[in-house]
Amino acid sequence: MSKIEEVKSRVEAGKTKLVSGLVQEALDEGNSPNDILQCMIDGMKVVGDRFSAGEIFVPEMLIAAKAMKKGVEVLEPHLADGASTSLGTCIIGTVEGDLHDIGKNLVSLMIGSAGFHMVDLGVDVPAAKFFDAIKQNKNVKLVACSGLLTTTMPAMKETVKAIKNSGLTGFKVIVGGAPITPEYASEIGADAYAPDAGAAAEKAKEMVAA
Amino acid sequence: MLTKRQNLLETIRGGNPDRFVNQYEAFMCQDSMFGMILGDPVQMASPFPAPGGQAVNGWGVTITWPENLPGPFPVHDDEHKVLKDITKWKDVVKAPRLDYPQEEWDKFIPGVKAIDRKEVFATVFIAPGVFEQLHYLMGMDDCLINFYEEPEAIKELIDYISDWEVGYAKLLCKNFHPDAIFHHDDWGSHTSSFMAPEMFEEFILPAYRKIYGYYKSHGVELIVHHSDSYAANLVPFMIEMGIDIWQGCSTTNNVPELIKEYGGKISFMGDIDNGIVDREDWTRELIAHEVRRACETNGKLYFIPNTTMGGPVSSYPGVYEAVTEEIDKMSKEMF
Repeated sequence: MSKIEEVKSRVEAGKTKLVSGLVQEALDEGNSPNDILQCMIDGMKVVGDRFSAGEIFVPEMLIAAKAMKKGVEVLEPHLADGASTSLGTCIIGTVEGDLHDIGKNLVSLMIGSAGFHMVDLGVDVPAAKFFDAIKQNKNVKLVACSGLLTTTMPAMKETVKAIKNSGLTGFKVIVGGAPITPEYASEIGADAYAPDAGAAAEKAKEMVAA
Repeated sequence: MLTKRQNLLETIRGGNPDRFVNQYEAFMCQDSMFGMILGDPVQMASPFPAPGGQAVNGWGVTITWPENLPGPFPVHDDEHKVLKDITKWKDVVKAPRLDYPQEEWDKFIPGVKAIDRKEVFATVFIAPGVFEQLHYLMGMDDCLINFYEEPEAIKELIDYISDWEVGYAKLLCKNFHPDAIFHHDDWGSHTSSFMAPEMFEEFILPAYRKIYGYYKSHGVELIVHHSDSYAANLVPFMIEMGIDIWQGCSTTNNVPELIKEYGGKISFMGDIDNGIVDREDWTRELIAHEVRRACETNGKLYFIPNTTMGGPVSSYPGVYEAVTEEIDKMSKEMF
């Protein structure tokens, strides 16, 4: 197994204590920083796919994302500015009235691992805070809204509607959460729906490539 | 006509129920927030916020319950998170006291004695459970990562929490002699368990063997466990730890298949998703359709039609009552 393959494999396995050292070794061997970054992104895609397929669970996804983060910290000084977030900025938050964070955090980790710069607004986020973040951040390509409660579905609808009618452009809106369906996402005007964090990362990449 | 209690036992024992057990009817035994036994000296000393309020509970966890949300949430910002480093849990986590004088318990005993135990189960409501207590203390992300990074510390903390729960169980059994306990601990999301079955078996199962084992060996007839989630992959462990009824099983579990596979060892209460029926735009027709589907596909035994909510309430007024009425209609039709 080449060093770069080993980095990918250890990211997939969530070896947080090993990945930094392996990334450094891969750099020392002369591998390109971009290739090393890509192998970690590929590793996280495997993690996302396995999560979507029900083969792994939340702890495995969290630990893999943490391992990748450790690797990127070593890699960052060797990358051109913004190389690790070349797909643009993604604003993410759980909509107003909803305090659930784990689903949103997982989606944030996975979209971030796919190559986006994440701006996480946290939970209970009013529509106005989404606007402000879209205006204040550069190169916003994606806005991700999470909601886990039926009681916050109206807030999700209002948030998407308000963002879409704001006059702000250049980004797409993706939504998700337990009570949300593809039909509901379409009905409220979102551009996409994702059923889980792995699928969200894939959908995010597709949306900015389109 | 069987009493609510008899009818439930016939249902879960594969006997001859004369109607569907209608949601929480057999556990509603007191005039409290969820109709179950909620008052005792330990609970009273651990403040729980009312809707719209915030409180710090007996474990030091700040809990907020915003208006219009179906339940409370722990607050995990830097200022409020109780446990920031799992390896230091012994310095930080202090379980609530259990050593109340008997007079404090005596205040609650007449209310429990007044329960008609022929009609319903004297049911104690207990929340949060062991896993929830872990993530209440440190936040979900830290909690789940620590299962990998600090497994020994997590095991120690689980032991500490479950030993405290057994201590509390001793007092409940001694003073209230409950027939049933209704115990919350959410173990999954809508589509998957939070952790792999192997991890659950290693970390969570032993704690519940201890807790539910204590109740079962001290006169508690029924263990009802709430997890409004997917957890079909954990059912063998639920059986092993002594759960009689899993409440909150969502449609994503394929409940009819679970009944075929495990009916007789455990019963299933739910299969009417709140995400589907308990919405701003709910209609009587939608509820009738969901109740009919649940009753017809699951059948009369080992199944209790119920919303997945962890108590006899709904987020939107009228939903719980409409489900109740539609279940009554299905009872008349199917029995």
